[in-house]
Amino acid sequence: MKRRNGKYLGAALCGAAAVMALTGCGSEADSHKTEIEIVQYKPEAANYFSMVEEEFNATHDDIHLTISSPNDAMTILKTRFIREDYPDIIGIGGDINYSYFVDAEILMDISDYEGLKNINQGYLNIDESLELVPTEGIYAVPYVANAAGILYNRDMFEEHGWEIPTNWAELNALCETIEAEGILPFYFGFKDTWTCLAPWNSMAVDLAPADATKQVNRGETTFAKEYREVSEKYLTLLQYGPDDPFAYGYNDACTAFARGESAMYPIGSYAAPQILSVNPDLNMDSFVMPANDAAEGNTLNSGIDLQFSVLAGCKNKEAAYEVLNFLYEDANIQKYIDAQTAIPCKKGDFALPSILDGMTEYIASGNMTDYPDHYYPSEMAVDAQIQTFLLKKDVDAFLQKFDTDWLRYNRDIIRLVQDYERQHGNAD
Amino acid sequence: MKNERKRTFLLITIPILALFICFNTIPLIRGVIYSFTNFKGFGSYDWVGLRNYADLFTDARVGRSYWFTFKLAVVTTVVVNVLSLLLALALNSKIRAKSFFRGAYFLPNILGSLVVAYIFNYFFTYILPAVADMIGIDALRTSILSDPGSAWIGVMIVCAWQAIAMNTIIYISGLQTVPEDVYEAGGLDGATGWKQFKHLTFPLIIPFFSINMVLCIKNFLMVFDQIMALTKGGPAQSTESISYLIYNNGMSGGQFGFQSANAVVFFIVIVIVSVAQMKFSGKKEEQL
Amino acid sequence: MIEKKTNISAMTVLILGLSTIALPLYLTIVIAFKQPTEMTNSISGILSLPKTWSLNNFREAMEITDFWNSLKNSLLITGLTVVLSIVVHSLMGYALGRNKAKSKFYSFVYLFIVSGMFVPFAILMMPLAKQTAELGLANWFGVILLYVVFYMPMNVLLYSGYLVNIPMALEEAAKVDGASTWTTYWKILFPIMRPMHATVAVLTALAVWNDVMTPLVIMAGSGENTLPLAQLNFQSQFGTNYNLAFASYLLSLIPILIFYVICQKQILNGVVNGAVK
Repeated sequence: MKRRNGKYLGAALCGAAAVMALTGCGSEADSHKTEIEIVQYKPEAANYFSMVEEEFNATHDDIHLTISSPNDAMTILKTRFIREDYPDIIGIGGDINYSYFVDAEILMDISDYEGLKNINQGYLNIDESLELVPTEGIYAVPYVANAAGILYNRDMFEEHGWEIPTNWAELNALCETIEAEGILPFYFGFKDTWTCLAPWNSMAVDLAPADATKQVNRGETTFAKEYREVSEKYLTLLQYGPDDPFAYGYNDACTAFARGESAMYPIGSYAAPQILSVNPDLNMDSFVMPANDAAEGNTLNSGIDLQFSVLAGCKNKEAAYEVLNFLYEDANIQKYIDAQTAIPCKKGDFALPSILDGMTEYIASGNMTDYPDHYYPSEMAVDAQIQTFLLKKDVDAFLQKFDTDWLRYNRDIIRLVQDYERQHGNAD
Repeated sequence: MKNERKRTFLLITIPILALFICFNTIPLIRGVIYSFTNFKGFGSYDWVGLRNYADLFTDARVGRSYWFTFKLAVVTTVVVNVLSLLLALALNSKIRAKSFFRGAYFLPNILGSLVVAYIFNYFFTYILPAVADMIGIDALRTSILSDPGSAWIGVMIVCAWQAIAMNTIIYISGLQTVPEDVYEAGGLDGATGWKQFKHLTFPLIIPFFSINMVLCIKNFLMVFDQIMALTKGGPAQSTESISYLIYNNGMSGGQFGFQSANAVVFFIVIVIVSVAQMKFSGKKEEQL
Repeated sequence: MIEKKTNISAMTVLILGLSTIALPLYLTIVIAFKQPTEMTNSISGILSLPKTWSLNNFREAMEITDFWNSLKNSLLITGLTVVLSIVVHSLMGYALGRNKAKSKFYSFVYLFIVSGMFVPFAILMMPLAKQTAELGLANWFGVILLYVVFYMPMNVLLYSGYLVNIPMALEEAAKVDGASTWTTYWKILFPIMRPMHATVAVLTALAVWNDVMTPLVIMAGSGENTLPLAQLNFQSQFGTNYNLAFASYLLSLIPILIFYVICQKQILNGVVNGAVK
């Protein structure tokens, strides 16, 4: 009795395990086609990518393409990397994860990819500056970018005859005017800590050098020096927001702005779909954050939202390039832009979404600077530090902590940089 | 006969223990090994010796997360146990629509965390301040989640709201094991109400009380879902629990090695706490 | 026994407490029926009824989550985990519970396993992702196996705690009849522990049903979804469709609620009362 029961249980377990192991390997598609798998990290664009997948497979006999748009793709990618189960192509953002992946030599050098010629040099430069230390080769093809600044309610502005501010003094004057009319100038959703970064980034590009973090890594300057003006001006901005901005989340702020509860909302173009879902009729536009005292000093805060990298382990480089060619066809990029309110990284005549009207000048002239937070390690939680600062309003303490934390969280990177400098001389 | 019994127990224990070691202990040991490296979660890494452990004891953020976690755990444990014991007694007494109530009180446990987070965020941000305004309580006019000093109370309320269901079930199953004749005998002695509970009911459900204590320690010291959904550690990093820090910086961030060290220390601390607690309640059980 | 009257004070407590559940539930249902354009930040706005009671949100939510397929996976994983947990954990609880007082070995194994409860999942995640892949277990079966291990500490604790209340005399009586320990366990002890089985079933099922991390990490890239995994579709950093999400959560709440209602009868029927004491 005892033996038999135990055996059955054991046999059942083993049997099930064996079946699973077999079926796990048996599901390869037919062997004539080259399989290309893409994992991209924007689930909100899943519909677009399944359309691309379908069209690609319908027009290609030799390659079979699979695109997955999983949620929490970064966790999925990292766990797949650790079990050495690499997709062929990944679609990620131009942020510190990309820097880490390049450093970990997971990505393939694709300098020989023809399509790179059609990409805006500005965005290729951004990718290059994201490398922790200058690395030979090109590791990503930028796809689309987003931009952050200030979204405004166009109808409200026209009704009251308000002008778009071009420098810091004008922005302050505008806020005073709006407040005088009994309207809230800004809405903030600081309960979601990451939203604290939106105004921070768009002001920092106007006021601090673009490579501030690298300068600090080389020991040439401190954040106490570079970020003082940003911090002080941020506190000014805070006065024009709701009484208790830390009570509201991103979603609350989007809803409030969509319902006309504030005239402006300092956030990125990525918020447009959420805002429009609440009020599809809202007539909104955007302008560049005028944080600098001089209009010429301002620059658009724009970074790579999605880019594709071929992985070093990809066996069919040609097929992967073929897939990239398809993805970067003008018609496809245009569809993506329309669906996600994005900025194309490819050169050419694209119709930009109307909410970017106020930024087109900067986009056309290439006057853009990457998000500073793409260079901050996420575990340092700069967003939470800014939130703390906005609550306590102590500039000195904030900047001092920024500097000490920076050294601690970037210890290994700083050592890497110093080693590099030692070997290559002071190239910069 | 004796041997047969011994052999059976061994035959049960060994395979199950092997399974446990395979999928719990071995990965844990691998994790411990990572705690001596600067592993980011992917790619190459270097050995850094005890640096992660040294950092751990000088990191104010880690220290704060310990304080927050223990404060939350202790308070929530008390609140949950008092309320769920009350509820269990009520649900176990002679009432109408028993099944309905038992079903209803279980609901908080199964609502997904996105729903719970949204509803409670709404409650704390809009409803509670409006109510406070109406009846004139100044302290509650702003959202308690927006103030670093009080945000933990919001987290506590949500944790308790969700956890009470499970603890209640366990208390109810405990109350079921109390035979009716104990009450009848007690009734003859004139024990009613609080006295009856203290001297008759409670001693008999002590084992269930211990189970609930362990359940609470596990749930609240390792609190993660509610933080993730409700505050994401904010405002001003005032509600970062240890598990949140380990996950957020270790998995999403690039601090896998350092947070592994944090997890190792945390594990040791919890084991000490719970062994002490089990010893304590074990003694209680023996006394009774 | 004499029929007692309804306990008024208990009823009062229960009804008062119910309001803390009714309000959130009401909000959930109302939001699940509303359209995104009906969402506001005002209290009257959130409390108001939807403009139309259409099932469109539910239909759309089912489409997005590939509901029937995800439901099938969730049911399969939860069901098998619960069954295996009851069998494996009750056996382990029995072996440890009966021996830990007398034997150093068993008492050590008991503490060893129970302390596994406090290992943060985050530290196991990376090594497990690697290990399951090496063993060819990066699929739903691997997920189930991991669950059986993860919930072992809590369940073993519950079972061995429960056994304290079951007198040895029962086993000894069976032994006199010549039954082996194994037979005695299945014939006598296993049925007696029914209320605890139900408790364990509810605890385990609930944890498995709502779990996101394990399937996310272990089944990553397998193309199969469980319900909570599929529900992640409704939220991204830059936007969440609460209306569809709430509709979907209401749908996925139903199976587990039914399961609970069935189990709680078992928990509360209290067979133990008559049989043991």
